[in-house]
Parts: sequence; structure tokens; C-alpha cells
Amino acid sequence: MYNYGGTLAADNVDEDKEKYARFMERVEAGEKIEADDWMPDEYRQTLIKLISMHGISEIMGALPEKEWVPKAPTVKRKLGIMAKVQDEMGHGQLLLRVAEDLMKPYGKNRESLMEDLLNGDLKFHNVFHMPTRTWADAGMVGWLVDGAAIISQTNMLDASYGPYQRALKRICQEEVFHAQHGEAIIMALAEGTKEQRRILQESLNNWWPSLLMFFGPESASTTGSSKQEVTTKYRIRKSSNEELRQAFLDKYLPRVFSLGLTVPDETVHYDEEKQRWIYQQPDWNEFKQIISNNGPRSKERLRLREIAYENNRWVRQALAPQVVVS
Amino acid sequence: MEKQNESNFYREYEVFSKKNEKSPIQHQFSLLAPNDDMALNMAQENFMRREKVLDVWVVPRNHIRSMNSEERLQWTNRLDNKDYRSTKGYGYLRKKWSEKEQGMLDEKEIMSWKEVKKS
Repeated sequence: MYNYGGTLAADNVDEDKEKYARFMERVEAGEKIEADDWMPDEYRQTLIKLISMHGISEIMGALPEKEWVPKAPTVKRKLGIMAKVQDEMGHGQLLLRVAEDLMKPYGKNRESLMEDLLNGDLKFHNVFHMPTRTWADAGMVGWLVDGAAIISQTNMLDASYGPYQRALKRICQEEVFHAQHGEAIIMALAEGTKEQRRILQESLNNWWPSLLMFFGPESASTTGSSKQEVTTKYRIRKSSNEELRQAFLDKYLPRVFSLGLTVPDETVHYDEEKQRWIYQQPDWNEFKQIISNNGPRSKERLRLREIAYENNRWVRQALAPQVVVS
Repeated sequence: MEKQNESNFYREYEVFSKKNEKSPIQHQFSLLAPNDDMALNMAQENFMRREKVLDVWVVPRNHIRSMNSEERLQWTNRLDNKDYRSTKGYGYLRKKWSEKEQGMLDEKEIMSWKEVKKS
């Protein structure tokens, strides 16, 4: 049996050369790897990091939006945003299961994920550290934040890891509803009163840097670490951070402009020659601060998660099968 | 003395569901729950909010004997000389029947024989 013991891939390379070659053959032939298949440690660890962060981000991502459930302007909007918040929790449940099966050889489980989140070892997406100040922000999360998430998730719909690929397929189908839910809020504001248009523009101005940051830096040299080469090598995703950011700008900027909105960067334009959008880099040091739980709402949201976890502890204790100890 | 250890709270379940009366039960995903009833509840709440669902099964994962990695490789690697077991090996009949100005009674044709002429 392969020894998972937490050692790095390099330590096992000789011993597992053959297995590794066979594994890469399968991945490159487009076969799907399943939870109990042999896989190199680097692959397992990359997946755990990616999927646990994705899963916990769905759960933390429900928090900025749920703040607007009691304040939604109409009953229909309230039902819509409630459904969306519930979907995010469902996506989280699905993804955490995928991560947990991968972590099992390391003796880790749901409890360890929650503890890692609360002690800062498990990060969540930069956008969910930000405040949702107005109803326009609630719409912006559905429209552009989910839009960015859709770009990065659909890029992994052919991922080599079977359980993740199947979870993503399910998630992306529901994201279509989320996108239109966000668009409906934005459209109403864009076609609304002067004040509604003002909060919409203000919201876009506030979210713009976070949206650019969402895809991560172009290269590892910007922030000191990036998993993009490893994830493409193992066919988990297809494109680089910058390619995904460009795809996002391609799809969404024309729509932004069509609503009469502007972005807070006068240099933004499409360079026909280079076939890419030119834009000002966001502050990547700020990005590092945000994802290290030093963002504007990081502490409050983690605290909320902690309260829920602690308050429900008695339920977990009461329903756990009893173990007799002497 | 009895100790309630919350780390025993989660059990792994596999969830299966059925869309309509004609469709087979299909595997959906897995979830964690402390018991069968909560697993069923979680399956509905978390994953079946929109789609049509006629029936749901939740099965503790350790009650399922599934193939392991090696078995899957072995069992799914079928020999490709099993034509005699499928209609593929009898495809030449289509030409024969057509020479005799008869149609082929293929799967599509046979599966359409739900009704016969009433006397």
C-alpha cells in the first residue's frame, strides 16, 4: 500500500516512478482519477488545498449576502437571495465532502477543516472578506463576483479529478440562476432612480480591485506563491490566472459599459494588437493582507462562523454515537 | 462511564435519487450526517431544492461494497471479442433482409412493439 504519511512528492519519486508514469498517462488521456486511486502526493495536496478553499469559500461567501436577507427590498427579492444563500451552503457541503475524502489518509476530517478555518490555516476567497454596504453590493456579489467565480469554475469542468469535476458540474448549473439573480438586481438599479444608479456605480467602484484580485496574480513573483502551474500540469484547470481574468473582462466589461457604468480605472481599454484588456494592477500587498484574514470584514465573519460552531457543539455531542469508556 | 465525543458525530452517507417513475435510481453524491433520518433530511435540504425527485435513498458508505481501484481496472477491461453477445455480431442480417425486401427487426423496432392491433 502506498504510504501517504504527509511526505512530499519528491521523497517518493524513485519508488513510485512507474505508478507516477501510469498516473500521468491516465490524466493526459483524459481519464478521471477517483478518490481511492493511487495519486502522487503533490496532486493530492494541490487538490486538498484548492477544494477545501473552494468549499469553505462557498460557506463564508454566504455570509456577506445573508446580511441582506432581512433588508431585501421586496418579498420576491428576499426569497431570491435566501435561495441563493442556501445554494452556497449546499455547494460548500458538496465540496467539503470531496476535500474530506482526499484528506482521509492524513487522518483529517470536517472538524479539522473548521478548526483550520478558525485558526487561519485554511483561507477563503478575497472577495468574501469585503463588506456589503448597500443593496447594490448584494446585487454586485451575484452579478460580478459570481460571474468571476463562474469563469474560474467552468474552466475546471473537465478536471482530471472525478469527484471534483462532478461537483463542479452540479454547482455551475446552479450558478446560472445566481448570475441571473444578480443581473436582475443590477438591471433594476441601473434602470432606476438617480440615487439607485449612484449606489450601483459606487458599488462597482468599491468592488473593482477585489474583482481583479479574484483570479490571483499573473505570476508567482507578484505574491510569492501560485499554484497555477501545478494545477494545469495535472489537468485540474486549463488556463492561467491572467487568461481567466482576461476572459472575465471580455465577457463582463462590455455589459458593464452597456449599462452606462464606468470602472474606476481610466486606463482600461482593449488593446486590439495585443488582443487583451489593459488595466491597472490592483494592490497585491493588500490582497495578501486580505487573504491572511486582515481584510475589512475578515474577523467579524470568522467570529460569526465560530459562534455558530460553538453554539451547535451540544447538538454534535448529543447526536454523536456514545462510546463507552472505562 | 459514558462519554459523548463529538468527533463521532459525522458518518458518511452516499445519496441516491430517482427523478421519475421510469428512471432508475441514480447515485448523486455523498454527505455527512449523524444518523439515517438526518442524512435523508440533509439530502433533501442541501441538494434537492429544485430538481424533480420521486425517491431518495441514503446508505451508510461502509454498507456499500464497491470495487476498489485495482478491481475497477481489472473488471472494466473487457475483452473486445464479445460480438456474439451483442447485436453488433449480427449486423450482416440487415443486408440479408434488405435483399429479401424486409426490414431489420432492430432494437428501435422491437422496443416500439408496445401495442398490437386490436381484434
